[in-house]
Amino acid sequence: MSKWQINNNIRKLRFSHQEMTQEQLAEKVGVTRQTIIAMEKGKYSPSLELAFRIALAFGVPLEDVFSYEVADDANTHLPE
Amino acid sequence: MSFHERNITVSLVNFILILGFYLTSLLLLARGGNFNAESVYRLWGIVAVLATVGTVLTIIFVHITANVARTITTGEGHINGDIQDERDKLIDLKGTNVAYRVSSIGVALSMLTLVFGRPPLVMFTSLILSGILAQIVADISRLYLYRRGF
Repeated sequence: MSKWQINNNIRKLRFSHQEMTQEQLAEKVGVTRQTIIAMEKGKYSPSLELAFRIALAFGVPLEDVFSYEVADDANTHLPE
Repeated sequence: MSFHERNITVSLVNFILILGFYLTSLLLLARGGNFNAESVYRLWGIVAVLATVGTVLTIIFVHITANVARTITTGEGHINGDIQDERDKLIDLKGTNVAYRVSSIGVALSMLTLVFGRPPLVMFTSLILSGILAQIVADISRLYLYRRGF
């Protein structure tokens, strides 16, 4: 069975938004810097509300920040 | 180390010290032949005060000291690290879940002492012990989750 995971482009988006620091993003979305670090490392998947707040902070659609992908093979079908 | 990790570390150290104090006191009571209701109830009182008031006071002291030290060394005042966000709440919840499981096992084992004919004092003593152990294991699991990211 394929393992699914939530990936994100937070790090890339921070740098493309005037090199926003983790602290600045954390303050904008109302979490701690440690949570931003955990998300960037892929250790923590945010709630839907936080995901929307991050997308709004960058001014991009949600799917530009987060993607749901298979971790170990190229199968992109949703899990049943 | 974040605000929450520091709180947990202080709580962990405090409860390890309380465990040491509790076990040493029990050993001394047993060796001295004073393992009776009066002595054990007094010990429970001391442990309860140390666990609640002691932990709160230690956390306050550590935060004041850490903030003063940070202000002196870096010149920064308040840092936006003391909010509790969703990840902190989830980690706290997982820790509570671990504590609940450990204390459930502890309660079951304590009841077994009655089944094997030990006096109720032994059961109550092991109940307190399982409570302290549950807190220690929960703090360790919370620290582990913080160190790992989640």
